[in-house]
Amino acid sequence: MGPMNDSSDLSSEMEVDAFRRLFPLRFHERHLLESIRPDGRPLGRARDTTLAFGAVASADGSALAKIGCTTMLAAIKMEVMTPTVESPNEGCIAVEFHMPPICSPTVRPGRPAEVAPVVSKQLSDTILRQVVMTFSGMIDLKDLSLVNGKAAWMAYLDIYCLDADGALFDTALLSAVAAFCHLKFPMVSLNDDGRVVVVSGESKGGKSGKEAVNKEQRKLNLISIPFSLTCTLHNNYILADPTAEEESIMETLVTVVLDSSLQLVSFYKPGGPVLAFTSAVMVSSDLQKAII
Amino acid sequence: MADLRLLRMRCYWRLAVFRTGAVNAASGSAYAEIGDTKVIVSVFGPRESKKAMMYSDIGRLNCNVSYTTFATPVRGQGSDNKEFSSMLHKALEGAIILDSFPKTTVDVFALVLESGGSDLPVVISCASVALADAGIMMYDLVASVSVSCLGKNLVIDPVLEEESYQDGSLMISSMPSRDEVTQLTITGEWSTAKIHEAMMLCLDACSKLGKIMRSCLKEAALASQE
Amino acid sequence: MSVREWMVGLSAGEKHFIQGGIAQDLRADGRKRLTYRPIYVETGVIPQADGSAKVKMGATEVIASVKLDLARPNPSQPGKGKVSLFVSCSATAGPMFEGRGSEELSAELSVALQRCLLGGKSGAGAAFDPSCLSIVDGKLCWDAYIDGLVVSADGNLLDALGAAIKAALINTRVPVANVPAGASLDEDPDVDLSSQETTRIDTSGVPVIVTLTKVGRHYIVDATSEEESQMSSAVSVSINKERRICGLTKRGGAGLDPSIILDMISVASHVSEQLMNKLDSEIAAAEADEQM
Repeated sequence: MGPMNDSSDLSSEMEVDAFRRLFPLRFHERHLLESIRPDGRPLGRARDTTLAFGAVASADGSALAKIGCTTMLAAIKMEVMTPTVESPNEGCIAVEFHMPPICSPTVRPGRPAEVAPVVSKQLSDTILRQVVMTFSGMIDLKDLSLVNGKAAWMAYLDIYCLDADGALFDTALLSAVAAFCHLKFPMVSLNDDGRVVVVSGESKGGKSGKEAVNKEQRKLNLISIPFSLTCTLHNNYILADPTAEEESIMETLVTVVLDSSLQLVSFYKPGGPVLAFTSAVMVSSDLQKAII
Repeated sequence: MADLRLLRMRCYWRLAVFRTGAVNAASGSAYAEIGDTKVIVSVFGPRESKKAMMYSDIGRLNCNVSYTTFATPVRGQGSDNKEFSSMLHKALEGAIILDSFPKTTVDVFALVLESGGSDLPVVISCASVALADAGIMMYDLVASVSVSCLGKNLVIDPVLEEESYQDGSLMISSMPSRDEVTQLTITGEWSTAKIHEAMMLCLDACSKLGKIMRSCLKEAALASQE
Repeated sequence: MSVREWMVGLSAGEKHFIQGGIAQDLRADGRKRLTYRPIYVETGVIPQADGSAKVKMGATEVIASVKLDLARPNPSQPGKGKVSLFVSCSATAGPMFEGRGSEELSAELSVALQRCLLGGKSGAGAAFDPSCLSIVDGKLCWDAYIDGLVVSADGNLLDALGAAIKAALINTRVPVANVPAGASLDEDPDVDLSSQETTRIDTSGVPVIVTLTKVGRHYIVDATSEEESQMSSAVSVSINKERRICGLTKRGGAGLDPSIILDMISVASHVSEQLMNKLDSEIAAAEADEQM
């Protein structure tokens, strides 16, 4: 165990920051032995979570979610579209996840982050797959219909990562769900050509011929609400809600998504050695109960 | 006639708020909110220049401005704004002491969360606060203000609606305590006298905005000492 | 700045010579500070374009062309044609135009010219009134594509491009489009372009661009690239016949005192008159040549 001893010796000689940068894995393993993490959390505790609604006035629904330092801004813009022939009484949801260069030193303009498409896919899977199972889905797409076969809502959900420090998917999902909670349908009316158009703020109460179709600003009915928790696994340790540093050092990530009735919605385990995942699921669902 | 014009001139601007440390992952960052315009700027570096760059005995500044898809009233593409990126670069390069970080690059990335008019001036002012937060050496903060010309009237710090039917606009970025202009652009038709009037209006506003930015940095510095 | 110097490759002695010459109002090529190099204009250089011109100022050579296309006007401005302006730099024009360097410079020149020639959002201060491009209000118009090309670069590109675009606009013949009576314009318009008749654009309001380059304490016009390498900053002003300012761009990093900017504007306004007269007579001569 030559190298082990070397670094142990070194650790008493060099500064903490230098040791952390040179031997990151050993640095974290030493913490794990004491059942504590570099930021002072016990292994099973998630970071503080905050949520703010209505962060963007130009969107129809928006929310800012923060887990630790990771910050996500989700906003929904609604547009009127003609529904497809296959499902004339359903609207549509388009989910996009963006990682602009402001969020992390690893992202440069014109070179998108590697994880962005992965998180984007996970998000649209979680939000849209829910929708298909109408009995327990998050959103009933029929709720987005305006006039059967003629007009329906197209909801553009855009999630921007403003600060990336681990657990990206958890924060993104939280902000997305919150944005849907905050969403208010814009007023619509029939125009002269018989088309449904969005009534803009200024023309409200304008011409009498343009009666608003939906009088009150309706809110979306969320059937069930998904929550997720990401954990990193390292040897026998399970760390909930990892930071970017922890994610980069420990190779196995597990994300568990549950809905409000604690049903398992989805489970992601991208790569890494196989570990005792049943315990991870147990732990994360327990943790999630605490969070909710 | 002149009095009437003075009466109709809007000489106040919207509420301006600056906060440093908006993005933890960056070396320095700032959030600015002026009226409905909301902007985040992150500064990274000084860090290694791109490999393709040739040797330089002074530092490099790299700027990028982009919009979110929901920033504008009509949903956009959220792509980079090349024009604003190069304007941001020009407004800042004169204020940064590039000799203080030779061979390396400082990246200034801005994201407009919501566009409510006067976007570029807000981005520039916010970027200089973020640079200060990152500890990049500067001669002075850069405060930026624009005026729109609507008929005979000058409107300072125009909102989106005013910008959409303006006859001309003038934007100044200045270093208030050195009384120097780092960038000036004018569009539309102007008489020399009008330019003079608009410039004085802007410079005065810049020095006031500079004070707000300075007090934000002071507060942040005091808070970190405690 | 150091990059510019490296590109031009000046020794300390040469730099001193240039700066000293400017201070003594005798520049390296014998000109005074506010004297232009001889200007040479040729119009109709590109037969396929609706208007074109080539302008030479010393070793700087640029080409501008105007191409007109039938299009449907923007609903918000039914009585106007669209005008777009772009500049590209030939890679053979100079060593700084290789690779990405030319992209950045092209974008910078395009933006500066758009600001100087296309006016404000309401159209005030534009080089010409785009309503002269309208054929049928709200249905049909000409779109003007103005393209600039830098063939050879030896400083003062913006002024040369401005002059070339002015000459190209004067050279432009707008074909007279005869719309058959009763033709439906909602579908693909059927327009008779067979007549040989053409009209001209009213170019009396097209401004000239004057760039004042500040070297040391003095400003010079029509700087060569060697002189530009020594500049601290430059101000480009576009001025029309009524001596009103139609656009202004400051280039170069160093800050300027506001009073100096105002002084530069008044100097530019004074210089513009001579340039405007010189250019008008050159363009008139070129047009007469082309007709022969």
